[in-house]
Amino acid sequence: MPKVFLGMSGGVDSSVSAVLLREQGYDVTGVYMKNWSKDLPGMKCPWAEDLADAKRVAVQLDLDFEVWDFEADYKQKVVDYMLDEFQKGRTPNPDVMCNEEIKFKLFYEQAMARGADFIATGHYAQTDGKNLLRAVDENKDQTYFLYRMSNKATARTIFPVGGMTKPAVKALAAEKGLDIATKKESMGVCFVGEVGMKDFLQEYLEAKPGEIRELETENVLGYHDGAIFYTIGQRHGLYLGGGLPYYVVKKDLAANIVYVSHNLNDANLWASELKLENLHLRTDLPADGQIQVRLRHRAPLIEAKITMSAYQPATVIFASSIKRPAAGQSVVFYDGEVCLGGGIIAE
Amino acid sequence: MIYLDHAAATPVSTKALDAMLPYFTEDFFNPSAPYLPAKRVREAYEAAKDQIAHCIGAKGIDLVMTAGATESINLAFTAHQNKSLVLATEHTAVLAAAKTRDYDLISVDKTGLIQLEDLRQKLTDDVDFISISLANNELGTIQPLADVVEIIRQTRQERLQRGITTPLYFHTDASQALSLIDISVARLGVDLLTLNAAKCGGPKGVGALYIAHGVKLTPLTVGGGQERGLRSGTENVPGVVGFATAATESKTHLAYHRKEYQKMAQILRQATKNLSEMHSDVSIVAQNDNFVKHKQNTLIPQPIFLGNPKHQLANFIPVCFPGIDAERLIYKLEAQGILVSTGAACAANKGTKSHVLAAIGLSDAEIAGSLRISLGSTNTIEQIQQAATIIIETVRLEYARLGFASICDKKLKEQSADCEEGEPRKDGRSTGFLDTNDSESLGGNHA
Repeated sequence: MPKVFLGMSGGVDSSVSAVLLREQGYDVTGVYMKNWSKDLPGMKCPWAEDLADAKRVAVQLDLDFEVWDFEADYKQKVVDYMLDEFQKGRTPNPDVMCNEEIKFKLFYEQAMARGADFIATGHYAQTDGKNLLRAVDENKDQTYFLYRMSNKATARTIFPVGGMTKPAVKALAAEKGLDIATKKESMGVCFVGEVGMKDFLQEYLEAKPGEIRELETENVLGYHDGAIFYTIGQRHGLYLGGGLPYYVVKKDLAANIVYVSHNLNDANLWASELKLENLHLRTDLPADGQIQVRLRHRAPLIEAKITMSAYQPATVIFASSIKRPAAGQSVVFYDGEVCLGGGIIAE
Repeated sequence: MIYLDHAAATPVSTKALDAMLPYFTEDFFNPSAPYLPAKRVREAYEAAKDQIAHCIGAKGIDLVMTAGATESINLAFTAHQNKSLVLATEHTAVLAAAKTRDYDLISVDKTGLIQLEDLRQKLTDDVDFISISLANNELGTIQPLADVVEIIRQTRQERLQRGITTPLYFHTDASQALSLIDISVARLGVDLLTLNAAKCGGPKGVGALYIAHGVKLTPLTVGGGQERGLRSGTENVPGVVGFATAATESKTHLAYHRKEYQKMAQILRQATKNLSEMHSDVSIVAQNDNFVKHKQNTLIPQPIFLGNPKHQLANFIPVCFPGIDAERLIYKLEAQGILVSTGAACAANKGTKSHVLAAIGLSDAEIAGSLRISLGSTNTIEQIQQAATIIIETVRLEYARLGFASICDKKLKEQSADCEEGEPRKDGRSTGFLDTNDSESLGGNHA
């Protein structure tokens, strides 16, 4: 029986993965990766409940179950990276980093050291034994977060629910009586919901209050509590009063000024090309550079051309202007179903 | 469903619920309001307090009603300024309250009983508060409070003799004990005593603190001055009425319940022992955390009954299955309709190991293998017989999964040749990892 270590989060996707692997005859050990356990102001970390849910499912399926503690590595490789990026005024994606550094590196390596034939997770993605492929459920495809996983790990990874749609996964969970054990969606990173990020950053980073100015007039419209908390394109949380909405269009970190504008067409909000750094190529790119890219999780694939040379950073060029994603976010490359890799948006 | 975790929560009794209901609707009035219907609510409230107080041999005026045992404990700790002594096995509410000021822990023996000599030694002149539970919430061990009170009395006398006027208050957390022990504050000689409605058939979020005359406390909640100014806020009339009904009910049936629980506990203990009779002359102990690494062909170890059989709440059956992961048992039993717990519910879902089981000297592996079974009014003899069979079979399967064999397995194997598991050695001893002389710390002392 091939031996598989399955990352179990307590959510429905990894629980159904356990059922499927077991039915397919694998020798499955469920593993809860303990990456974070600290409560923060206004945010209760649900790790203990998640662990209990994961273990309940594993035990009910009669699987071996273990807890692997990656807290120190997660803090160092994911959280510190994330804080550092925010400090530089960028908007990092911790899920991408977690998959690269924790799930498909440390978890993978530890599993292999324990004699595993494969690892498995409840991600919506597929592999053909070599390439990383998009999930069947286009709405749930998670390859945007997985593009940095190594080819070595990809060759040894099973994504049991990658060929299913989310409704089918939920239906199977209900059929197997797992729906009461696993109620919620499993989250990439437990502590950073959209709402929680600012609270989280405030706990760790020093931030200085400063001015909010209108880009066109340089008029001071109000004050912010730290420029690093704002992302280009953001329109909420500015507290500038009623009337037409303002958008964050520029941040001057040195002067600690956040610039806003009414003008949705401001050049800062749009781009016809993006410079990338820290490329991770899974395979050779097409010679003509014609690829499809995804700019955000769940965003549609769009046609683009990538240029690379030894002297210049990789650049993705679009046929028409796109709404500019924040620096620090990822652009992920595709050729049809195949994920080719990606890179991180520079300034 | 067979519910075996009454130490965590009890269902509200039908009588208590019926008594509470009118005070949510027709008799909803604020007991402090001036009109006649409100006066009747005030009277019902005071009568309920008297009823609760009566259960512990006190008067209603001696009680401050709170939102539960945790609040009662926190309020009790306001009696002192300097240093407290608390038992190492106290509930986390007591430990946390103690930690807000200088404190020291008093050790317990392997059955969870207080080491009186340790108390005597640590009772220095700066100690002004002692908190020792009447019965422990994980082991059910009942403390010899009369002996504790005698030490305290002597210390007070001796302090006065030397002209030292530092007061010395004694608080006991009786949350687990109310429905199983006949409590009398006068006989116990305590200054402060915590009660909890939710452990005896009353509603959650209702507690009481008994305060002896002359003990000065500082309110944690200030406002309208209710409860002699010690606990402001509109009175929880239905909750207190429900508590009173439940407390009276459990006090009335105390002797009967104790007998019933003893019978049920006996059934469970006997069934559990059968597990070990499968290999009667072998005793194996999980003394280190490498238990599972040397598991092949090892015979099922003796289960260990925790706590003190002579001084234990009748409804408590804490038991350790060495080598087993008790959390797995919980989920397996849950799937078969039996609800049990590992220890204090608040610790169980934080993934932390029980400080109580650590304090009685269990190894990490033994703590991981410990279940807390606690009986209650929902249980019947038939249920317990059924539960005993399921629990033992589940434990046996878990041991089998880990590669432990039992004599029963051996017999089965002799009948079916294609069984994969190895056989125990002919001399009946473990072929595995631990010599029997390593096992002395557990075998006798806990049984």
